[in-house]
Amino acid sequence: MAVHSLDLEVPAGKTVVLVGPSGCGKTTSLRMINRLVEPTSGRILLDGEDVRAANPARLRRGIGYVIQQTGLFPHRTVEDNIATVPLLNGWGRDKARGRARELLKLVGLDRALAKRYPYQLSGGQQQRVGVARALAADPPVLLMDEPFSAVDPLIRASLQDTLIALQSELHKTIVLVTHDIEEAIKVGDLVALFRPEGRLAQVGTPEELLGAPVDDYVAGFVGFDRGIRRLSFFSAAGLDLNAGPVLAADATVAKAQATGEPWILVVGDGKPRGWVPAERLAAMSGDTPLGQVRADGFGHTFPVAGGSLRAALDAAVISPAGQAIGVDEDGRVVGVATFDQLKAAIQAADRAGRTADEPGARP
Amino acid sequence: MMWSWIPSNGAQIWQYTQDHILLGVLSPLIGLAISLPLGIAAARWRWFYPPVLTIVNVLYAIPALALFVALIPSLGLSDTNVIVALTLYSLCIIVPNVVAGLRAVPEPVRQAATAMGYGALRRLVFVELPLAVPVIIGGLRVAMVSSISLASIAQLIGVYSLGYFFIDGEQRAFPTEIYVALVLIIALALACDLVLVGVRRALTPWVARS
Repeated sequence: MAVHSLDLEVPAGKTVVLVGPSGCGKTTSLRMINRLVEPTSGRILLDGEDVRAANPARLRRGIGYVIQQTGLFPHRTVEDNIATVPLLNGWGRDKARGRARELLKLVGLDRALAKRYPYQLSGGQQQRVGVARALAADPPVLLMDEPFSAVDPLIRASLQDTLIALQSELHKTIVLVTHDIEEAIKVGDLVALFRPEGRLAQVGTPEELLGAPVDDYVAGFVGFDRGIRRLSFFSAAGLDLNAGPVLAADATVAKAQATGEPWILVVGDGKPRGWVPAERLAAMSGDTPLGQVRADGFGHTFPVAGGSLRAALDAAVISPAGQAIGVDEDGRVVGVATFDQLKAAIQAADRAGRTADEPGARP
Repeated sequence: MMWSWIPSNGAQIWQYTQDHILLGVLSPLIGLAISLPLGIAAARWRWFYPPVLTIVNVLYAIPALALFVALIPSLGLSDTNVIVALTLYSLCIIVPNVVAGLRAVPEPVRQAATAMGYGALRRLVFVELPLAVPVIIGGLRVAMVSSISLASIAQLIGVYSLGYFFIDGEQRAFPTEIYVALVLIIALALACDLVLVGVRRALTPWVARS
């Protein structure tokens, strides 16, 4: 593996993801930062200091490191694994273990696991311990080499969510290597996409890579559905919602017919129960409560606050009525949106994105 | 089988059992002490391993009696002579196990240790050697059992062990002695093996047990 003329600036407190095919040098680049690999030329500056000027062991204690195979010490308990760097830094055992317990909680693990050995944990738990160990001495910089690649997709998603939540609290400078562009887009503030021969193809925010790939290689790597995925970065808050088709379960068939809507969303206590097509109501007596009419499923909903247009579009696609149901924090229906309304919102967000000076602002 | 022989010769049996333990148990323990630095060096510098392996294998190929005799000019007909010979034999089993144990440390673990800020020596002492313990003790068990068995032929150069009863029993056509010594040697080997298994379990609570 080789890396050529890599010039990359990692902003403090941000997550930068190095992504690319196998053998593109992304891992080599990562390992140069903590000197597991020495560059043949060039410099790596950490906070303005050349890493090669530092004592390697001391340098590394200030840089958290997480790898795919976890690299947990099999002969140490979970708490002693986490306490590794504090102990190396000369902390007392009790203090280091106390810190380890704090970190267990931070990465979402039960304290009861503290005395277990790594072989007694699931793959996902081991990886969380790996993250906790890397954070134990509170290093400003965190290097992560394919940290979530070895676990199944559900666990991976939950580990990614944990990382995003941790980062919003800790503001570490994170360099994460992955071959998974989805992961890069999900967790990265900046994504650096490598070409197979070890050169940078494009560096930008996830939205920039999806919206304005510099060439066919980048466009191909981010995938054919990048347009849809880019909708993840557009907030659903600007979407127009209709309350017209939304009726309570105790409303009558006559009232439903009076709306003139082709589909009625029946709600109970504000929560969606199901869609009823207008033609099903035609033969029914006008005073029948809607709650007694057989309703179709409603697929899933999207949160109006904090949700993305991608979630809204997906909710519309899966709905029998072709309409997305927007809900509040408590799962109560706020309103529904048709494809036409989604289209208008997407076009508005796209125009705003293209004209903005700073297209990288994350929703 | 003459059972009454056992109680009437209890003191002598006990004495030779102790002599046997000294020869058979001490030798592999000294062998372990020598094998550790040799094995560590061989695991660290690859070029060093082939010559070391050749030497310990050649030593193992020398017939025991020939080795005892070869050591007589320098060490005489003594316990030391036998202990040195048995120690040399044990190297052939223990050194490769030390090397294999160290090489079996998973690369991600080694890499993580380095990246956490362990220097080479600390990493060896606190990560690599502890992880090599099961394989090293595996080698020590084989060396211990074979050494306890081999110690009986020390009697051929006049160094006392339970082997005395084999020669004496054969010369006097008195098989009881032979049976008793045989059972004691096997029991001794089993007991030492059990102790080593216990030591390994105590040192490695982290190994998955089914």
